[in-house]
Amino acid sequence: MPTATETKKADTKPKVTEDYTDEEIEAMFNKRESVPLTMENARFFLSSGGLVSLELKNKNGETETFERVVIIRSFPVSNPDEYISIREPNTKRRGNGAEIGMIKNLADFDEATVQLLNTELDRRYFTPEITKIFSMKEKFGYSYCEAMTSAGKTTFVLNNPYSNFRKLENGSVLISDMDGNCFIIPSPEALDKASYKKIEIYL
Amino acid sequence: MKLLYELPKKQKEVFEQARSNDEKLMYCLPYNIEGDSFINDGYMVFTDKYIYKIRGEKLENKFDLSKCSDFSTEILYGSCGFYAKVDGDTTLLCRFVTARHMPRYTVMVKACELLAERASNEPITNSEPEKFCPKCNRPFISNTHFCPYCQDKKVVYKKLWAMTKGLRLMMLVPLITVMISVAFRFILPVIQKIAINNFIQNPSVDIGNSETLVHFITIILCIVTLDIFHRATVVVRNRIAAISGNKFTQMLRTVLFEKIQTLSMSSIQKKSTGDLMGRINNDVNVVQNFMTNLLPTYFAQLFSFVLALVLLLMMDPFMSLFVLVPVPIAITAITLFRKVMRRRNVRAWILGQRTNRKLQDILDGMRVVKSYGNEKAAVGEFNECTENQADQDESNSKFYDTFFPIVGWVIGFGNYLIILYGNILLFGGTMQVGTLNQFTSYSSIIYEPLMQITNIPNNISLFTTSLSKIFEILEEEPEVSDIGLPIDIRIEGDVSIKNVTFGYDSYNPVLENINIEIKKGEMIGIVGHSGCGKTTLINLIMRLYDVSSGEITIDGVNIKDISQNALRSQMGVVLQETHLFSGSVRDNIRYANPHATNEEIINAAKLANAHEFILNLPEGYNTMVGEKGFSLSGGERQRIAIARALIHDPRILILDEATAALDTETEKLIQDAINKVVKNRTTFAIAHRLSTLRNADKLVVLDHGRLAEFGTHRELIDKKGIYYHLVTAQQEALLKQQ
Repeated sequence: MPTATETKKADTKPKVTEDYTDEEIEAMFNKRESVPLTMENARFFLSSGGLVSLELKNKNGETETFERVVIIRSFPVSNPDEYISIREPNTKRRGNGAEIGMIKNLADFDEATVQLLNTELDRRYFTPEITKIFSMKEKFGYSYCEAMTSAGKTTFVLNNPYSNFRKLENGSVLISDMDGNCFIIPSPEALDKASYKKIEIYL
Repeated sequence: MKLLYELPKKQKEVFEQARSNDEKLMYCLPYNIEGDSFINDGYMVFTDKYIYKIRGEKLENKFDLSKCSDFSTEILYGSCGFYAKVDGDTTLLCRFVTARHMPRYTVMVKACELLAERASNEPITNSEPEKFCPKCNRPFISNTHFCPYCQDKKVVYKKLWAMTKGLRLMMLVPLITVMISVAFRFILPVIQKIAINNFIQNPSVDIGNSETLVHFITIILCIVTLDIFHRATVVVRNRIAAISGNKFTQMLRTVLFEKIQTLSMSSIQKKSTGDLMGRINNDVNVVQNFMTNLLPTYFAQLFSFVLALVLLLMMDPFMSLFVLVPVPIAITAITLFRKVMRRRNVRAWILGQRTNRKLQDILDGMRVVKSYGNEKAAVGEFNECTENQADQDESNSKFYDTFFPIVGWVIGFGNYLIILYGNILLFGGTMQVGTLNQFTSYSSIIYEPLMQITNIPNNISLFTTSLSKIFEILEEEPEVSDIGLPIDIRIEGDVSIKNVTFGYDSYNPVLENINIEIKKGEMIGIVGHSGCGKTTLINLIMRLYDVSSGEITIDGVNIKDISQNALRSQMGVVLQETHLFSGSVRDNIRYANPHATNEEIINAAKLANAHEFILNLPEGYNTMVGEKGFSLSGGERQRIAIARALIHDPRILILDEATAALDTETEKLIQDAINKVVKNRTTFAIAHRLSTLRNADKLVVLDHGRLAEFGTHRELIDKKGIYYHLVTAQQEALLKQQ
């Protein structure tokens, strides 16, 4: 039985703070289908903003243009050049961008495209190489390290070196510090003796 | 959080040259990555018209704010980027180090939007605390504002001193007794010397002479009594140390635990249970051990070292040289030995940890291992771990057993020199046996602390760190706290959420600008994709966290003004995973109200459809449940949780996926219980299965932290928006299953 208050409730219109277009709701429930990207259907080029744009020919032969695409590696550690996901950028309104397609192997593309994609990948996966370690001090529960890297001399702090040092499958060592920086030592044994000794116990 | 950095001189000149006179400087932030290098001279300067990118003495770029839009930050790998559309083209404005500047640039996204819209001419501010020491740039100890490098150690010790109030006298006793026993140790060789020189070594002594005999016996008695006294003081000292030490530990633990209970959920969640337990157990032990055992020992050793040295020099300065020469060699040997040993021990410890982890990993996943027939591989993996560990342990033992005696020999080397030189003197007649005995006794006192001297810095650093960790908790300000004079209100149940924005990190809002009005007694269903902020919204209503902006009011009163006690005691919560404490069913139901009568307990259980199954348990309401008790099914635990939520007749009831983990049959039972209990209570229910929200008066549809839709089931279905799609999607899935 509807009471007085309930009928009153029905009078007030549903309050909606955000209105979504039909396309947006459609996109929310039906994500676009990812396609394999090859030289035939995809053309990557430098955007006017200095990033990467994509022109995609879809199944029906129509051309879709993406002003900016995000490029993400599926296996950044083990297979950096394979299965590279090309995605729409995340936006505040739509959340995570959908995958447009995947490049099975970078080598499938011509040199200019590979170079363009690699520039963007290098920007995204910023992992300076450590070439020398000047000091590594454990103090007050943190470890303070001073090192020479391919990106210049730097100091960084680890909160737990035993888990911040990660030995990768290929024998290199990945270090992630408290600031969110990542460093790599391609081959710890190849470091000079003094540097190696400073990190030996964490390996 | 600092948003206006001071520009260094060079960059300032560049900026002054580039800017026009009517521009207002708003914000200035550093950026630290360019190309493939870290840089330390890059700055982004924001005025009300332009963004200047300045590096060193060069103006790298200048962006017209009126042509910029869609500002955003993106977490890359190992760095972050600040993006914007410039003239419609997405451009990477700059890159920076994640943890240090991500919060700042995220605020800047908002700030730039305002600047581009020309909405405000006043810079916005942000009250989020800094996480890095402004002096030395090193990170603060997590969740605190102290930098271990820049912090004054005296302050820590002072705080400790303040804490020992009431125990000081007791702590002084070990120091005094230590000095007494040291004194005895020094007197003993003197008396021994008299005994040896005057009697044992003296051929002219006639033991038959009664006077000599008495003399001799007195000396022997003295030696015996001194020894007894010496041992007695040690006993007294240790007993008192045990009392004061344990009192101190207990006091620290209680204070710590009390403090942890007052901390808000947000600060507790940032620490793991293991970390908190570690602080209450290990760190307190380290502090206590240092204060009651190590400190008196070090004190005693220092005292005896100095005393022995002085006495030796007084007795024979030349012979003392033989004692002192090997000291530096011995210290070097010990330091080296310890350094290597530490490395080896750390390795062994890591390997041990690895074995433990592997063991736990495999045992936890035993079902998976078995069902994939992977037992052999599991054994192989485990064997590898234990083998490595055993190898390391073996090698460590061998090393220790070989080198420890050698180090011992090096330390004792001085004694050989003394005996050699002493005997030369002895034969020459310039020294007596008793004197030599006294000399060697004192020299051994010098050598004794050497073994431990190298350990002192390490122990002090351990002690200071543990102490800081304890004070870190003791000094943490609860993030959610009552105002000066909180109000105790009787809640009716009108809830209104106005312009609420909230993020666990300020730069990542989980909820944005939420507006909802709820009348008392209504049941509100909250739906949306996972991760859209449903649980967060409920946490805010319970005030486990405080909103970042906007306000939540209950019956028109801001929940920040209501005392947390009054607020929580009138709310009932049922979560997806129910934690039952070790204890009886009855204890668990009356957890929220220990004074509930048995009748109230039964009524609550009946309302929750739990009464029947409880009576079927072997000991009814007294059946033990929890860790070591009777194991209950998910549905049974859930119904106990509902009874627990009802025991204090809450005005606001919160059901967070209360039925998600249950099968349909049990769900029905619980749904039935819920239908009974939501009457006359404001209820918030989160559910994945939308069918369980059929009876809700209003539905809140959240999408990526924003309120997408709000209305009754009918209204939202008619609207054909997100809710409609969610419902149809679930119905399709159900149909497919059938």
